[in-house]
Amino acid sequence: MKYDHILVRYGELTLKTKNRKMFVNAIRKTMIRTLEGFDVKVKANRDRAYIELFDADPYEVMDALKHVTGILSVSPVVKMDRTEDAMKETALNFAGGFKGGSTFKIEVKRADKEFHLKTFDIQDMLGGLLLRNTENIEVDVRNPDYKVMVEVRLDGIYMYHDVIKCVGGLPAGTGGKALLMLSGGIDSPVAGFEIMKKGVELEAIHFHSPPYTSLQATEKVKRLVDIMSERTGVDIKLHIVPFTELQTTLYDKIPDNMSMTSTRRIMLRIAEKLAWKVDAEAIVNGENLGQVASQTLTSMHAINAVTNYPVLRPLLTLEKNDIVRMAKEYDTYETSIMPFEDCCTIFKPKAPKTKPALDKVLKFESNVDFESMIEKALENIEVYETDAKESENAFDALL
Amino acid sequence: MIYMDNAATTRPYEEALSTFEKVNRTYYFNTASIHQEGRNADKLLEASRKQILNLLDLEGFECVFTSGATESNNIAIQSVLKKKKQFGRTVLMSELEHPSVLNTVEAMKAEGFDVKYIRTTADGQVNLESLKELLDGDVVFVTVMAVNNITGAIQPVAEIADLLKDYPKVHFHVDATQAAGKIKMNFSGVDTLSLSAHKFHGLKGAGALLAKQVKSLDPVYYGGGHEFNIRSGTVNLGAIAAMAKALRISVQDMEKNHERISGYSEHLRKAVTGLPSIHLQPGGVPHIVNISFEGAQGEVIVNALGARDIMVSTTSACASKLASLNETLMAMNNKAAVVKGSIRISYSNFTTDEEADMLIEALKGVHKEIGGVLK
Repeated sequence: MKYDHILVRYGELTLKTKNRKMFVNAIRKTMIRTLEGFDVKVKANRDRAYIELFDADPYEVMDALKHVTGILSVSPVVKMDRTEDAMKETALNFAGGFKGGSTFKIEVKRADKEFHLKTFDIQDMLGGLLLRNTENIEVDVRNPDYKVMVEVRLDGIYMYHDVIKCVGGLPAGTGGKALLMLSGGIDSPVAGFEIMKKGVELEAIHFHSPPYTSLQATEKVKRLVDIMSERTGVDIKLHIVPFTELQTTLYDKIPDNMSMTSTRRIMLRIAEKLAWKVDAEAIVNGENLGQVASQTLTSMHAINAVTNYPVLRPLLTLEKNDIVRMAKEYDTYETSIMPFEDCCTIFKPKAPKTKPALDKVLKFESNVDFESMIEKALENIEVYETDAKESENAFDALL
Repeated sequence: MIYMDNAATTRPYEEALSTFEKVNRTYYFNTASIHQEGRNADKLLEASRKQILNLLDLEGFECVFTSGATESNNIAIQSVLKKKKQFGRTVLMSELEHPSVLNTVEAMKAEGFDVKYIRTTADGQVNLESLKELLDGDVVFVTVMAVNNITGAIQPVAEIADLLKDYPKVHFHVDATQAAGKIKMNFSGVDTLSLSAHKFHGLKGAGALLAKQVKSLDPVYYGGGHEFNIRSGTVNLGAIAAMAKALRISVQDMEKNHERISGYSEHLRKAVTGLPSIHLQPGGVPHIVNISFEGAQGEVIVNALGARDIMVSTTSACASKLASLNETLMAMNNKAAVVKGSIRISYSNFTTDEEADMLIEALKGVHKEIGGVLK
């Protein structure tokens, strides 16, 4: 038995009626991009998509689609001739993988109403066959463990039963654009993935302070962007902001216990200006309520006061171990935990305030001309455009 | 000169030499340096690692670069046995192993290990029944090479891995030096795997130890912690990248070369079959053929072919200077005269039709020349 198609079920986009075409076009584009290099053909219809497999491994294709937003689930499908024998053989093959003590149901869709077997005939034929040829497996039409789907079409019969859950949500690019604050830790890439689920396109911002932060820390953030781009099939532009001058000024001019709050405020001011410039409608970060001193409600209030932009915090109330689990699922965990110096670790105050007083922070900041330094930092942004596939082949000629 | 001793070492591909040279010109930096150029060199190292694992279909494995299979075998055997000592003391080894495995395992006897040999079939393969008999609760290590370097016999690695599933504390080590880049084998049940670049048209001084779990290994000498802290010492990036390149070419052209070289060895076997006093060992991979001139010394045949400008070897180059009889051939139950009179012919991806034909003519000539001393 050879799987020759992958059936792709859409997520929430099926709730859309008026803009359906735009949503389907978006998901088609992302699937084609994600499956670049696989020998397949993508056919996205109004209510589902079929991926025809020529010489591609079905499980590798399904794995590649797992993080494409807008896909609810996928199934490997066998297409066969419109004969009873072909249906029987495939049904028996499927049943070979059923667990003992489980239940099944045969479901039939006759797109070709002229087909000589009626729905009940097919159910009866295949259901009886499986009951006779298996032990300890029963029929349950209400709540079966396995649903064997038989679709009768003009060009053949399509059968499948395995349903693999994907990320769901909405197709990339249908939900506007946001700017992700990417530190290189565990949380921020997960926050990015969560927002992308809703079809939001991302650009990312990262602050570095050479020579106090290492090259590897910046490389790590680039790798994270590569992973996110590869998994979702959507390019992410990374803006690397030179922060050294601001960092050392903050260190010099702001009292140690308030420097953290001011640092975050400056970063958010830069993020807002960049978001405006790149047409992003929100800022996203990986903040988690109470996780560290800068993420208490009081700190968030003092930091957030610099902007009117919506700051989205998809991980706000999650447990840390859930975030770790998600990072592992998204494949960013191993990269995130690589130990390099970043701006958070070097200039870390000894005792940051968990309840910074906004009036005091404002007073100290007013003594310094941060605005001109912010403008200078923005002018000197280095842009990294991810192309995971290309960077892998950088050594192609040598290797 | 016609070179037919490719199981000893091969001529590097031009592409591998070019990679070696380019890397040493442009990426001569230390892969452990944290500056930009060091980072770039490290990226090339990681890309080489990934490519080698992909080409060998070793998903989930890690690749530790070494100086070659001798070092890889030493690291695997010495470090795994030290860790396993608390769980058992018996090591099972095929009689066919290369000296870098054989002598390392033998040396571990001094550490209190008991070494038992798995018997060999007349075809030059590990006898699975013998392995079954020897397996018990005290066995912690089994080592069997993938392809024998004397006869070319392909060993039942996947079957052995299957047998060992019932013995979870056993570490299964495979010396794949003669297999890598030559034939496709299933190594998924193996714990560690050794290879040398110069056997598949890479350069001397580079090899790898491929491990399902790096944690199962320890260094055998100490240093700055390169290569997962298993094999310290500044990494030989040029030779490693050249190895990745050579393996890529070898794997890409594998089917084509396998077919062509099979033609050579079959032709050779047919041509000498029936000649008096000639004895052919059963084969395996096409690039190795072992022929005995019963009654003569292997060295005499090597010299006689040498006079015709053809380079072959007696047993294996690593052991040919030793006077003792070859263990592999003895284990296969060959008569002493057959073992003494044996030579090994080994083709490579560079061998041409013309050279293969000239070798056959030369062998026939030598056979006529020394016919008087043959039995």
